[in-house]
Amino acid sequence: MSSVIRSSFLLVGVLLALSGCRDQQPRSYLVPKEAAPTPNQAQPSEPSQSPPADIAADRAAMAGTTVPVATGNDLTWTAPSGWAEQPASGMRKGTLTLSGPEGTGDLSVTAFPDAVGGNLANVNRWRGQLGLNPISAAELRPLLMHIHVGPLHLDVIDIVGPRERMLVAIIPHAGATWFFRLLGPDALVGREKPTFMRFLQSIRPASDAS
Amino acid sequence: MNEILREFIRFFTTLKLTVVLLILAIILVFLATLDQVTLGIWAVQEKWFRSFIVIHFFRGFPLPVFPGGYFIGGLLLINLVTTHLYRFKLSWKKSGIHITHAGLILLLVGELITGIFQREFQMRMDEGETKNYSESPREVELAIIDVSPADHDHVIVVPASRVAKSTPLQHPSLPFTLRTLTYYPNSHLGLRSQNPDLPPSGANRDIGTRLGAAPRPLTFKENERNLPTAIVELRSADGILGTWLLSPWLIEPQTFDYAGRTFRLAMRFVREYKPYNLTLEEFTHDRYPGTDIPKNFSSRVLLNDPREGGQREILVYMNNPLRHDGFTFYQAGFDNDDTTSILQVVTNPGWIIPYISCALLTLGLLVQFGIHLFAFARKRAALA
Repeated sequence: MSSVIRSSFLLVGVLLALSGCRDQQPRSYLVPKEAAPTPNQAQPSEPSQSPPADIAADRAAMAGTTVPVATGNDLTWTAPSGWAEQPASGMRKGTLTLSGPEGTGDLSVTAFPDAVGGNLANVNRWRGQLGLNPISAAELRPLLMHIHVGPLHLDVIDIVGPRERMLVAIIPHAGATWFFRLLGPDALVGREKPTFMRFLQSIRPASDAS
Repeated sequence: MNEILREFIRFFTTLKLTVVLLILAIILVFLATLDQVTLGIWAVQEKWFRSFIVIHFFRGFPLPVFPGGYFIGGLLLINLVTTHLYRFKLSWKKSGIHITHAGLILLLVGELITGIFQREFQMRMDEGETKNYSESPREVELAIIDVSPADHDHVIVVPASRVAKSTPLQHPSLPFTLRTLTYYPNSHLGLRSQNPDLPPSGANRDIGTRLGAAPRPLTFKENERNLPTAIVELRSADGILGTWLLSPWLIEPQTFDYAGRTFRLAMRFVREYKPYNLTLEEFTHDRYPGTDIPKNFSSRVLLNDPREGGQREILVYMNNPLRHDGFTFYQAGFDNDDTTSILQVVTNPGWIIPYISCALLTLGLLVQFGIHLFAFARKRAALA
């Protein structure tokens, strides 16, 4: 029997050693040539774990060769056909209006210094406006959609209230935070959502667009 | 030697061993279920079931605490096989039991093959994008890419578990050695200009000079991944070339020149290159009218495999994967306002084994019960 005990100990020892072993050696291989890094390319990462927008923007600025550094403070955009552009006024950098059988919608463009309280505080403020209860940071994460437009990183959220609906794109840019906020009746905003998403693709830093 | 062999056979052919192993298996499942509260499903599978010995960390100190799934399963397999060889005699009367046990043996072997050989990757493609590699959803590697050759890139990859160690790393095709100064298995990165609380990274080259890094607790949640950060120093015969901050947080590789060659450095999710490529032509996402609930999502992809001598177009959608070159591409998700498709890429050479073993188990039980039924019916007929 002692030989069995001896061999069992040996077996356990071998297995312990095996479980500690993992392939840690470097490997090398050849691949077809890949494109040089383009700083404004979308990052392959999960929506909940996109790189911080500030890093992406700074990286874009540092690489510098393909994307001009945004020196201007403004963003530019192209209004979709059917949406009426109104003159900027007061705090607004721009206003677009749209109308349909369901009512009228208002898209406001505003910009404030720094992060303006962060996404959670802002989203909860908007939810309150629409008559919804506040949510936690963990609940917010899956609701935010991340889009890359040129060198910009956009956080987009769709908030559906009992009567009205809000689509907001939050864009950190040049030390400020820009908000593109479409507010209107649920049915109208829902119908115009694809147009809003296409509209976001037209947003550019002013220095880039020139 | 014969004595040892006899002891071995005696030990492995007892029913006692089977019972002990089955009890251990029950306890293993119970403990693993408790551990799942803190670890999450995939980590529990690796720690408790796909291991020989379960290593648990007590205050950072690793201790073997329980036999792992492979250990118990492996002994059960030996137990079953040796018992068959030395205890059971081949007879028609017991053919059902033999078939059932063969099915059981195949099931255990199949799980072992799956555990060792199954690999899961992801392929993220924007519309119009062509890719010839898939990426691991969790495993990270450090890649040093020599882009100097005119017709190809020479890639040297180091697994994250090796990067975590501080001993210098050398590769014959690199004119420098790499040493990790700091390694965070999960981390947070930020620009120091906007996050003054973050400690300086210590990197003195490229983007790392402006970044601050801080460790974060490891996550085991299913929908989160660990994003490590490493500060690495490159050293050559000429001295220190610099220190870089590398992390999958960063979008693009960092480029530098040395010894007349151009290198790119990146920490990225482990890539597996393929001898063919896929292009995402179109991603479609249908929703139920008036809601955001997905009805159907599908990717129209163009498969270009030079070995097949042409291209072919395939529609990948739920329950209709693309099977090619031993890999199965499933439609797994989407992103970026429906312009990015995520395909899950899975290979498992043992996928068919559980089907065969289940068929054998069913057949074995049917045969065994059938034999008993006929014998019983014959006995009753004889009595009547």
